[in-house]
Amino acid sequence: MIPFQLAEPASFAEAVRLIDPEDPTCRAVSGGTAMMLMMKSGVFQPSKLVSLRKVEPEYAAFTVSSDGALQAGALVRLGQLERSEAVRAAFPVLADTFPVLSNVRVRNVATVGGNLAHADPHMDLPPVLMALGAHITATGPSGSRTIALTELFRGYYETALEPGELISGLSVPAQAGRRSAYVKCTTRSAHDWPALGVAVSLAVTGGTIQDARIVLSAAVETPTRMTDAEAALKGAPIGEEAFRAAGEAAAKAAEVTSDVRGSAPYKTQLVRVNVVRALRKALAAEGAV
Amino acid sequence: MADLSTISFTLNGRPVTARIAPHHTVVEVLQNEFGLFGARESCGQGLCGCCTVRVDGDPVSGCLFLAAFLEGTRVDTVESLARGGVPSVVQQAFIEAGAFQCGFCTPGFIMMTERLLEEHPDPDEDLIRHYLSGNLCRCGTYPEIVAAVQLAARRKSEARLDKAS
Ligand SMILES: Cc1cc2nc3c(=O)[nH]c(=O)nc-3n(C[C@H](O)[C@H](O)[C@H](O)COP(=O)(O)OP(=O)(O)OC[C@H]3O[C@@H](n4cnc5c(N)ncnc54)[C@H](O)[C@@H]3O)c2cc1C
Ligand code: FES
Ligand code: FES
Repeated sequence: MIPFQLAEPASFAEAVRLIDPEDPTCRAVSGGTAMMLMMKSGVFQPSKLVSLRKVEPEYAAFTVSSDGALQAGALVRLGQLERSEAVRAAFPVLADTFPVLSNVRVRNVATVGGNLAHADPHMDLPPVLMALGAHITATGPSGSRTIALTELFRGYYETALEPGELISGLSVPAQAGRRSAYVKCTTRSAHDWPALGVAVSLAVTGGTIQDARIVLSAAVETPTRMTDAEAALKGAPIGEEAFRAAGEAAAKAAEVTSDVRGSAPYKTQLVRVNVVRALRKALAAEGAV
Repeated sequence: MADLSTISFTLNGRPVTARIAPHHTVVEVLQNEFGLFGARESCGQGLCGCCTVRVDGDPVSGCLFLAAFLEGTRVDTVESLARGGVPSVVQQAFIEAGAFQCGFCTPGFIMMTERLLEEHPDPDEDLIRHYLSGNLCRCGTYPEIVAAVQLAARRKSEARLDKAS
């Protein structure tokens, strides 16, 4: 790798000060898993990295409230969340997602902040957290603000973070009985990046779907909510008919891109089928499907 | 030239220091500064696990971990496992199960297995395959590796029972 400077500030505020918003070759590093790949491949050649690893320990801690809301600092590692019984109980879909996200060693090192800032559209957590209604806290030279995950991802490797702004934390609201599921669809080998990700979250009462969130990733340029498909489910009775209508609506609306993992028509068919599968998975416990 | 700095950490139970540059990886420092070649780079991308070392107990890919991040940590490599020339239970199980051909991937699989059996003393085959899915064996000794992990789990549980009685 090309040599660079490394700063290891002891406070988050100092890290923010050390990042020069005018200099695109000066960036934060947390777990470093994605950064190392970018540096090794020469995609990114930093002049200076500001490590967040030595900032105050509260940024590496998380809590799950008694009603099941998650607050996590940006430096919390994915493996910490994966091994937490409280996270598993409050968000079964997260417990289900971590095992298919990379491997044990990457999850031991990768952080919440690095994961969400990286904004590769093939990543698994962004669609899931978006379906769960999560938001991040962004902290920059002029203070902190909240950004909903639905607003965070702006394009291929692009986020709504301003230059010099860092992710300082993640909040995921209590799910209050909502049912969620994630389907990762790989077309080449099981551990390849997905051709399509589908995350769904549903509020149901009796046999009726009251509210739905459906998020596609990987096949589209940035994780995207499928509002037409969501509308098709609102107020519908749980069942294959509603699921298929949602699948059709998503396939129609999704702006699917062709790449090595499949042509756009093929991936559109994947959308049609896997939205239905994700809905079935989310509601399997209802006994209705 | 990049600025050199000195880091201090605990390597296989001994406090050590090393002179490093910010862009050095853990694998480079273990090999060049300490002559430890158990963790070796193959894919260099976090996928194969040949470079597995444990940092504060957790297995990580040494190829994707900056050496600078080792400051103040406890690092354990495969070289820490044998005691007085006697292989660890996991190492012995890999030998008896014939769980390698060329052996290039073996230190990584063994370091992962040590941690797996601490977290899950009695893993089923699905869990073993899942936990080790980030390790690749180009010689394809996967069935023997699963058998070795099961053998090690059995031996460790027998040892616990012996101790208890
Ligand atoms: C072998 C391998 C397999 C993988 N497989 C998968 C997979 O199957 N599914 C999946 O979803 N992901 C996968 N990934 C990607 C992985 O999830 C990311 O590499 C990881 O989450 C990044 O987190 P990090 O803390 O290491 O980030 P870093 O590498 O430290 O940083 C990543 C980016 O975010 C920036 N950054 C870091 N922290 C912050 C912050 N707090 N605020 C603002 N910007 C910040 C950095 O400047 C950099 O641009 C894989 C990665 C590897 C190496
Ligand atoms: S060399 Fe590090 S994981 Fe392959
Ligand atoms: S024994 Fe040769 S790579 Fe595994």
